[in-house]
Amino acid sequence: MYRTILMRLSQAVPVLLIFSVMVFMLMHLLPGDPAVAIAGPEAPPEAVEKIREQLGLNRPLIVQLLEWFAHLAVGNFGESLTLKQSVISAVLERLPVTMSLSLISLLVTLPVGIGLGVVAAYWRNSWIDAAVMITALLGVSLGWFPPSGYVPIDEGGLWGWFAALIQPAVVLALFQIGFLARITRSAMLDVLDQDFIRTARAKGVDEWTTVAKHAFRNTLIPVVTVLGITLSLLIGGSVVIEQVFALPGIGRLIVQGILNRDYPLVQGTMLLFGFAFVVINILVDIIYTFVDPRVRYG
Amino acid sequence: MAEATATILASGEAIAARRRFRVLRKLLHHRSFMVGFIIILLMVTAALCAPLTGVDPNRMAIRFRFRPPQENWWFGTDQFGRDLFTRTLYGAQLSLWIGLSVAVLTGVLGAAIGVLSAQFRRLDSLLMRIMDALMAAPAILLAIGLGAALGPQTHSVIIALVVAYIPRTARIVRASALVTRELEFIEAARVAGASSLRIMFKHLLPNASGPLLVQSTFVFAYAILAEAALSFLGIGPPPPAPSWGNIIAEGRQFAVQSWWIMLFPGFAISLAALGMNLLGDGLRDVLDPRLKVEG
Amino acid sequence: MAGWLGRAVLTGALLALLPLPTLPAAAQQRGGHVTYASGGGIGSLDPHAAGSLVELEVIHHVFETLVAMDESYNARPMLAAMVQVGDQARRFRFSLRRGVRFHNGEVVTSEAVLASFERYARVSTNAALLEDVAGYDVPDTETFVVRLRNSNAMFLEMLKSPTYPLAILPTDQKDRPVREIDVIGTGPFTLDAWEKDHHLVLRRNASYSVDRSSAGPDGLAGRKTAYLDTVRYEFLAEPSARLTALQGGQADAVSNLPADYIRRLADRTDLATLQVFPFCQLMFVTHAGNGLTTQKLIRQAIRAAVNVDDIMAASGQPGLRNPSLVYPGSPYHTGDGASAFYDRRNLDEARALLAQAGYKGEKLVLQTNSTFSYMRDAILVLAGQLREAGVTTEVKVVDWLTNSTNLRRGTGNWNVTATGFCTQPLLGPQQWRAQIYINPHIRDRAGLDESYRRMFASPEFAPRQAAWREIETLLLEQAHFIKVADIGAVRAYNTRLQGMAPYFFQRFWNTWVN
Repeated sequence: MYRTILMRLSQAVPVLLIFSVMVFMLMHLLPGDPAVAIAGPEAPPEAVEKIREQLGLNRPLIVQLLEWFAHLAVGNFGESLTLKQSVISAVLERLPVTMSLSLISLLVTLPVGIGLGVVAAYWRNSWIDAAVMITALLGVSLGWFPPSGYVPIDEGGLWGWFAALIQPAVVLALFQIGFLARITRSAMLDVLDQDFIRTARAKGVDEWTTVAKHAFRNTLIPVVTVLGITLSLLIGGSVVIEQVFALPGIGRLIVQGILNRDYPLVQGTMLLFGFAFVVINILVDIIYTFVDPRVRYG
Repeated sequence: MAEATATILASGEAIAARRRFRVLRKLLHHRSFMVGFIIILLMVTAALCAPLTGVDPNRMAIRFRFRPPQENWWFGTDQFGRDLFTRTLYGAQLSLWIGLSVAVLTGVLGAAIGVLSAQFRRLDSLLMRIMDALMAAPAILLAIGLGAALGPQTHSVIIALVVAYIPRTARIVRASALVTRELEFIEAARVAGASSLRIMFKHLLPNASGPLLVQSTFVFAYAILAEAALSFLGIGPPPPAPSWGNIIAEGRQFAVQSWWIMLFPGFAISLAALGMNLLGDGLRDVLDPRLKVEG
Repeated sequence: MAGWLGRAVLTGALLALLPLPTLPAAAQQRGGHVTYASGGGIGSLDPHAAGSLVELEVIHHVFETLVAMDESYNARPMLAAMVQVGDQARRFRFSLRRGVRFHNGEVVTSEAVLASFERYARVSTNAALLEDVAGYDVPDTETFVVRLRNSNAMFLEMLKSPTYPLAILPTDQKDRPVREIDVIGTGPFTLDAWEKDHHLVLRRNASYSVDRSSAGPDGLAGRKTAYLDTVRYEFLAEPSARLTALQGGQADAVSNLPADYIRRLADRTDLATLQVFPFCQLMFVTHAGNGLTTQKLIRQAIRAAVNVDDIMAASGQPGLRNPSLVYPGSPYHTGDGASAFYDRRNLDEARALLAQAGYKGEKLVLQTNSTFSYMRDAILVLAGQLREAGVTTEVKVVDWLTNSTNLRRGTGNWNVTATGFCTQPLLGPQQWRAQIYINPHIRDRAGLDESYRRMFASPEFAPRQAAWREIETLLLEQAHFIKVADIGAVRAYNTRLQGMAPYFFQRFWNTWVN
């Protein structure tokens, strides 16, 4: 299995390489000058030019790209242009927010989503998405949801941390619940139709045991496969939710970085995002082998 | 041998035609498909009827700003005194246009990439690595970056969303095409000397059309939602163009005193997404044999 | 409000003799903690490189300058006790206030002042300020002399600049690179804790060297007294988050809010709002180097179509009508001279000018940004007004950085854009120079150069005023700039906080809690 994981990781290398070149090119294609963001709108032109020089933004793109890669190779993700801190520390600082948000959201999503799916509730994900999006926007604007910011667990205690995040987390969860419920429902319907369930019923096993023990376990197989997608949807959703609720998380970091043309910050953070995505998918595959004994890595 | 192939193909086509007819009948009797279909039909009609209001959606009348819904202004007016009923109808044009173009372009390009990957092993690894790379970023972030790079145009929103949604579509088509490729009649066609082009167009593509169609309806719905999210972040179609996302983004500032500005386009987005999803659910039930047909 | 405006007219000298009218009778108390919900995060606390409001609001509590802005935004000595101007405004002799100490206990000497000036000239974004310096003299530890090559009657006004403030740092900071200083100043508060992008805490400087020459605080200068033990700055970029923090009691005061939010505070007797004027000027800038707007007649046609009241109503910002590029209350304010170019709201005139220019429906590009809704709304209304005058318009909405870069470089194919000029106009006509010269498309530089030369060289006020009128008229008549209005900022606070007065920067000295 370790060999498989290593193989999967090595396959990820070209993907991440292509990905990082794409992100680099995209960022440098954006009109607008990071030096203007740093100097301020009313700064004299010489000052802006001075900053461009200091940052090495006057050099050819290819030189800047190669330099970035050279730094990456030794594990240096660079220094944010606007925050004056290293990309890694900026990310680490905001990671707890996004992680907490995703975690609480996942805690809501999994039981509710799977539960609803199992009782075959027929939720339509994107209708929910839209309603949730609008409710969140309207709610925040009207003050139904106080965007109270983030309270670190060591400051506000478990409850303070949880209380500050529960609303955005629920909103974020609602985006995913429909999707998960649907998958669960169709998987459940498939399973309920299979021979071994019919056999169980015929043998007189009571209905609860049939559903709970036999059907549910098998339903989890397809559900686990979409867990990776759910996680990446969570991360994508958190970008919007963090904007709406003013949470100082990774999503906000990236969006602010894009708006400020903070090249190293956006490139570095996106690369970490991409890496996390790859790792999550490998983890999902491993969990898969535990849930479905038929699948083995050789 | 050639004769045998011809027979197989002929009967294959006949079966396909009969199946198409059966699918259509099933769809007509499928409750959620029909509800979705009617919702979308009504929205398209509303969008086409927008000019009938006789009002310029961008005409400002500052004197009449922030009027709540009433006789002359069914949906009220916004901060510039523009008629929100007219704007919401024109918004349907723009938003549905964005949804449709994103769905069609994603479908066409995704299908092309998926089928090419399935047919040509050499292309496969390259194309799929690129798709993986695109998928490594959350779609919305990719769209934000692309939208900002391409500049403030409706078509840049469309391009950004197409690029963001292609990978998943391409993967779905490729998966389906890989299965088809291994079927006996394809093997037979290949042995009979059918060109790659013919195999791709005549066999791989038609067999992937079910999942592709289903996926496209969802892309349609996502695109309408994403337009709203992008407009919220200021990267949507350029104002004063009345897209639903724009109306909401502009009204957000005044949500307390003038709730109606956000309400109607918000409702319209929800309804359009609901319609497209019901439609997609119906299609999936009928076209995708792995899922059960209901009602 | 009226009382405050009236006060702004008073001169600094008069102010020094009067007790400040806004101070309530309640007794000031020492102690207490206050949380201030400020805007987005802080990159650095290096005063020499600080241009953003959020950074400066902190910096002016920690650092001080030789000369600073008073309550009516004119220059007033702060770390200097006295300034003598000689040699036809080429020689400035600063006598330092005695016994002023840095937060680390060191005494402020002319050595430290020299080191700070030299560092400023090397690293500051605004280093151009000292370009004309011929040399410095340090005759003794309490005297510092600046010698200029050319006469500059406005030098002290420029030296007071609260953006990129020329703060005096300890001597050992001299060789520190930009944005890498120790946060040690002379101000009434010291830096206690700072978690980047999250929060920052200031603590009362118990050994602050008070300026006893003044009866009370005066702008950024005067007799400043810190009553509060600590001030905590929470960095909340989202205005709605700031508002909620105030409503929920997590914050005692909040920085700029959208004007619409005032309504939400109306039923809270424990919360009060402040409208701060002057804050920014909303202006349309035309691109005289691109397409249609190279023609003066087209630019003037655009100006003729502008309806100020409509724009201000739609933007929802608190605004004051003002035809001039300087604020009312300033001796340079030109009410009548500029009003011929202001708020024409005359579509017939616009059509006539268009016809005269031979306009045939070519597309006029209006560029704006989605970051500042008041700029976007102004452009949208202008587009509507121009359409009615028969102009084919295209609105391009980009993000603020693109908009701002395009404005400075003349790139991005636009004809009109809206922008907010904030700190610089506050400081007076001399500060407009850089803002005007940034625009590469303003071609008739010769006239401007000559007027500015006279303005800087004249020791008397009258010729300086005349020179400024020429400059302002040139900009407005040519419709390079089309003035819309003065925009105010809206802030709010909990009434347990006493001594809050509207000022460009939120100040926490001479405020206290009950």
